[in-house]
Amino acid sequence: MTNLLGSSDIEALAREESVRGVLVRMALQQAERADREELVLLEKALALLLSRFQSMEDGAP
Amino acid sequence: MILRSVELENFGRFRGQTVEFRRGMNLVIGPNEAGKSTLAEAVPAVLFGSDRLEKFKPWGRNACNAALFFEGHGRTIQIKRNLVTDDVELVEKDDLYHVRAQFSGKVPLRGRSATCREYRDLLESLLGVSDDGLFRATYFFGHHPQEWSGDELAQKLRTLVSGTAEADYAEILDRFLEEHFALTRSNPWGRDKQRDREYEEVCEQLAQQGGAEAVPVFVELDNAAELAEQIETLSGELENDHQEYAKGLRYIERVRRQTEERAGTAAVAETPPSPPSPAASADSGPLAERLAAAGLPRNPPRELPELLSEAADIRQELATLQQPFAALASREKHVPQVPWVMLVSLVAALLVVAAVAWWQEFQFLRIAAVAAVCNGMLLGWGGWRQMARNKALAECDKERRRLDQKKHAAQQRQADLSERCETLGLPSSAIDLVRLQKQVAVHHDLLASFWSESGPPDVDVPASTDRGGTEVAEPDVPQAPDAAEASGEELALLEARMAEFEAELKRKDDRLQELKRQLAESPAGPSRQNVAPATKLLARKRDLEERIAVLRKAIDLLAEAVDEFGRSHLVRLNDEAGKLFAKITAGRYAALKLDENMAPSIQVDSRRWMSCENFSRGTVDAIYLALRVALAKVRNDGRSLPLMLDDPFVHLDQKRLATALNLVDLAAADGQLILFSHNIELGKRAARERWHVVPLDGDSVAARTEEGDEHVGQLHLL
Repeated sequence: MTNLLGSSDIEALAREESVRGVLVRMALQQAERADREELVLLEKALALLLSRFQSMEDGAP
Repeated sequence: MILRSVELENFGRFRGQTVEFRRGMNLVIGPNEAGKSTLAEAVPAVLFGSDRLEKFKPWGRNACNAALFFEGHGRTIQIKRNLVTDDVELVEKDDLYHVRAQFSGKVPLRGRSATCREYRDLLESLLGVSDDGLFRATYFFGHHPQEWSGDELAQKLRTLVSGTAEADYAEILDRFLEEHFALTRSNPWGRDKQRDREYEEVCEQLAQQGGAEAVPVFVELDNAAELAEQIETLSGELENDHQEYAKGLRYIERVRRQTEERAGTAAVAETPPSPPSPAASADSGPLAERLAAAGLPRNPPRELPELLSEAADIRQELATLQQPFAALASREKHVPQVPWVMLVSLVAALLVVAAVAWWQEFQFLRIAAVAAVCNGMLLGWGGWRQMARNKALAECDKERRRLDQKKHAAQQRQADLSERCETLGLPSSAIDLVRLQKQVAVHHDLLASFWSESGPPDVDVPASTDRGGTEVAEPDVPQAPDAAEASGEELALLEARMAEFEAELKRKDDRLQELKRQLAESPAGPSRQNVAPATKLLARKRDLEERIAVLRKAIDLLAEAVDEFGRSHLVRLNDEAGKLFAKITAGRYAALKLDENMAPSIQVDSRRWMSCENFSRGTVDAIYLALRVALAKVRNDGRSLPLMLDDPFVHLDQKRLATALNLVDLAAADGQLILFSHNIELGKRAARERWHVVPLDGDSVAARTEEGDEHVGQLHLL
C-alpha cells in the first residue's frame, strides 16, 4: 500500500457516507488488486480528485 | 424545514390573509371554490413564479402578492413575491435574527438572467429544489400527479434523491474532461474532434525529427537522446564539482600554512618534522574504504560510540516525557468544575421565595432564615469546590513547569550534541544518528581495528608531551600548543573530506567517460543538433501521457462513484416506496422499483415486473403517493419541503383511502404534510387525531388558525 492509500486520513474518508466516501472505497478496492504501476496511477488520480473536492469545499473557483 | 405560514394579498379569493401551519399533519378543508387549490398553488407560485397570473390576480386590481415563511434547523426563510412584476425578496435569518442570506430581484418563471440563476442557486442551497417541475413532481400531489418521466426531470430527481449537490461533482467531471480534451483530441468519452491537441502535435514533431522512419526510429532516438541528456547533466555537475574541489584545495593549503606558522612559533625549532597524521594515513587506507562501504564515516572520531549513546539517551528521555505530558493533560481535563450557574440559580430562587414571603407577609422570618442558611451552605460548598479545583490546577501547572524544564534541558542537550556532531563532520539529524548507531553496532570490530591502527587518541596524547617524552615548558605562550593541535585536527578532517570528494569526482569522471563511449557506439546516428530538441519533446510527450492517464483514471473513478452513490440512494428509495406501496395495496403488490430513467414498475409476481402504464388510475396514484412519501423519508439533509397533497385520493377506493391516510399520517410524523380536501369525513378524522385544521369556506377565507386558538378548527368541525 502506498503512502496516500495507506494513510489514516484515507481510512477516515472511506467511512464517509458521501460521493467522496464511495470514491475512496472504490479506490481502495482497486488498489488491492493493482500492480505497482497501476497503484501509482491510482494514487495520483485519487490525490487529484481529493484536491479538487477540497477546492470545491473551500469555494475556490 | 417546515412551512410556517403563507401570507396572501390580492391572491385569488384571498384579500389579505395569513394562513399558518404546524409541523406534522395539517388539513386545509373547505367546499369547492373555497380557495384550497389557490392556497396550494400559492406555494410554487411564490417559490418559482407562475404563468397563470390571470387565475390569481383579482379582476380590476393590479396587485397580487404572496409570501412564504419557512422554519427549521435554527433558521427562518421569508420569500415574498409580487406576481404582477415578479419581484422577489428572500431573507434567511438565524435564530438570533442575524441575516445569513438575502436576495432581491426580478425572477420570472422561465427567466434565464444572471439574477434568476443567483436566486435559483440560493433556493437550491436553502430548500433543495429550485425548479417548478421538480417541486410538482415530488412535493406536490394533485388530482393527477405529475409522472416522473423525461430525461431532464429524471436527472433532477436522481440529484434530489441522492441529497447531494451532484451538480458540483458534474462540474468537476466537466473540468477534468475539458482538461483532458485540451491535451488530446482522442478520448474514450466520444468527444473526438479533428483538430490536433498538444499531445498529437508533440507526437507529430517527434515524428518529423525522426524522418521517414518515424515510429521505429523513436526507440533508437530515445536511447541516444537519453544518453546525451545524461552526459549534459553530468558534465555540468562535474564542472561545478571541479571548481569546488579547487576551492577546497586552496583552503586546505591556507589552513596548513597557518598550522605550520603556529607550530613554528610554539614548538622548539629543532623538533623533527612530525610524521604524517595517522588519521590521514588511515583515511586513504583499506580500512577507511571498508568503513565508507559500510555506510560509516571514513575517519570516525573515537568518541562516536559515546555520542551515539548520548543521542539515544536523549531520544529515550524525550519519548519518556510524552507519557507524563499526556497524563497531565488528562488530569487537567478531569478536574471537576463548580456548577456556579446552578448554584447561583438556586440562591436566586431562594431569595425570590424569601421576597415573596415578605410580600405576602407569610412567615417571612422563618423562610428568610431557612433561605439564608441554605444560601450560605450552597455558597460555602461552591467556594470549597472552587478552592479544591484551583489547588488541583495549580498542582498540574507546577507539574507541567517541571516537565517543561526537563524537556527543555533534553532539547538543549540534543542541540549541543548536534553541534558537536556537526563539528566532527557527523550527521546531526536524529534519523541519521539512529542509522549510524545501527551501523556502528554491526561494524563494531571494523571500527575497533580502525582506531587501533590509528594509534592512541590525540586527546589522550597531547602534542606537547609526544616529543621525546620531555614536556616542553612554554610559560610565555600557553595557548599556542592547543591552537596548533586544534588546527591539526581540523586539517586532518578537511583532508579526509577532500579525499572523499576526490573519490566521488573520480567516479563521476568514469561514469561520464562510459556514457560518452555508449553514445559513440549508439547505432541510431541522429545528428547531435537533433538530440536536444528531441529529448525535450520526448520528455513533454511522457509528461502529457502521464497527465492524460491520471485524468482518465480520475474521470472514471469519479463517474463510477457518482453513479454508485446515486444507485445506492435509489435502492433506498425503491425499498421505502415498495414497502409503502405494499401497505397501500394491502400486500397485493410486493414491490415497486424505479429504473435509471426514474420510471416506476410494479412486481406482479415473483419474476414479472410491469410498467405502471398497465394499471388503473387509482393504482398509479398509489404508486406516486408512495414514491413521494418515500422521498420525504429518504431525503434527510435538512432541506426537505412539506409534502402538499391537493385532494389526492379521489381515485382511491375506500379501503386504499384508509390505508393511504394512515400512511400520510405516519409520513407527517417526521416532517410536515399539508392535505387539502373537501371531504368532511377527513375533517372528522382530523378532529379525532388532533391534526392541525385550517377551515376555509366559500364566503370568508379569513384565517382562523392563529397560534392562540389552535383547537378552533377541530371544534368547528365537531
